[in-house]
Amino acid sequence: MRRVGDWLTTPVPLGRVAAFRTVVYLLVAADIVFFTGWLRGRTAVSGELYAPLLVGRMMPLPTPNAALVTTLFWVLLAATLAAATGRAPRLLGWTVLALYFEWLVIAFSYGKVDHDRFGILVALAVLPTVGRARHGDLTPSAKAGWALRATQLAVIATYFLAAWAKLRFGGLDWLTGATLARAVIRRGTFASDWLLDVPVLLTVGQFGIMAFELTSPLVFVLRGRARYAMIGFFYVFHAVTWSAITISFMPHQAAMTSFLPLERVRPVLWVQQRLAGRSRSPFGRGADPLGIPVSPAGPVVPVSPAGPVTSVAPPSGDPPPVGAVTGAGDPGPPHVEDTSGTGGAAGGGGADRAGGGN
Amino acid sequence: MESLTARGRLVRVVVTLVGAGLLLAGTLVGSDDNFPFGPFRMYATTDRLDAPVAEALVLARDAVGDELVLTERETGIRRAEIEGQLSRFAADPTRLSLVVDAYHRRNPDRPALETVSIVIRRHSMTDGRPTGVDTDETVVNWQVTR
Repeated sequence: MRRVGDWLTTPVPLGRVAAFRTVVYLLVAADIVFFTGWLRGRTAVSGELYAPLLVGRMMPLPTPNAALVTTLFWVLLAATLAAATGRAPRLLGWTVLALYFEWLVIAFSYGKVDHDRFGILVALAVLPTVGRARHGDLTPSAKAGWALRATQLAVIATYFLAAWAKLRFGGLDWLTGATLARAVIRRGTFASDWLLDVPVLLTVGQFGIMAFELTSPLVFVLRGRARYAMIGFFYVFHAVTWSAITISFMPHQAAMTSFLPLERVRPVLWVQQRLAGRSRSPFGRGADPLGIPVSPAGPVVPVSPAGPVTSVAPPSGDPPPVGAVTGAGDPGPPHVEDTSGTGGAAGGGGADRAGGGN
Repeated sequence: MESLTARGRLVRVVVTLVGAGLLLAGTLVGSDDNFPFGPFRMYATTDRLDAPVAEALVLARDAVGDELVLTERETGIRRAEIEGQLSRFAADPTRLSLVVDAYHRRNPDRPALETVSIVIRRHSMTDGRPTGVDTDETVVNWQVTR
């Protein structure tokens, strides 16, 4: 039990959660605007086709109408865009979770449930528990670690349990059946229609899907490059699926960034550096990409991008390391194999972070 | 380093285990109705290699005689939703008025629809390949009443 607890709460840098938060809340915005944007058009349909899911029948949720869906849309959009900045992480986080859940319950109560939302829902449920987290902050946090671990588990469960569902509903015959052929006939594109003439490839694809889904939990025992290669394979799988049958699984893909060393991805910082380099003005010392001043007082702690940070003891009394980034001209993309963990990320810890609130 | 209190840690472990338990139960015995803990059953059914592949189409004829296929673009209703509620449409064809209303609200300048039907188009298959022969079966047909 103790080891399970350690594993579930393996510390990760707070900056990773800060970046992940931005990704997740922006995805929610993209979802309600684009992927499930049809729900706003749905208000043209009266409540008669609304057949609420179990959770919608258990909770006193109103039958949606135009006013409800429109209000929900705008309030949720404002809340999630605000949450993407990292401000008021608990208040905005719980608000977005509640509103987005209601949005999905409505969207899925007309006869079709999508299966790519579990990871993002778990992410939304755990992110508020982390509290404040700054972009670029390398301070390891067990709260942040649990939030990302829970999301990772949800993402991989989506694969592994999908294989289970295939065995439950389709049986072993699923492997040699015509499921992919059916998918291409119904949703095929120019990139996939030719596959119908080579059915053996579709069968091979079915074996491949089952194999990758059943082995997906291995990602938790892999380390370093091997782990990133596996995550990369998952993303390639979704790219192929999208081009073949236009199913994007985008919310799931956003949740899957919980496996990546996102704290090193600092687009705002990189733009600032470029601008500063071009105008030959001193790079804004200690400037946070979101405009929040960062004290460089905190120690920069070496962090393994592979995830787990064990036994990190920040040396007390050490001189503050330079919080700003070196090589301002061209920080380049982060190198995942670099274990020093400082490239491309500005240090800054020890500043005010809200604590408590387990 | 930010650590957790013993209580904070215990709460997180318990929440994780409860969530995992619900998800496992949903996968084992649940259905889509148990969202978000239902089974991840996308493309989980087995289709026989020689069984026809069916898709539901909403067809309509308007006042000027044009034949239309009403897709999500025209009505905002997804194909899988039509398929998911097929029995309700079959039991009461007047429900198709909802589709008609949705169409007209989205396309106010188009001619009025006169008939709407739901057709199951079956693409026949041999050894996992479509033969190119399709058969249509009209399962719901409704004369639009004004």
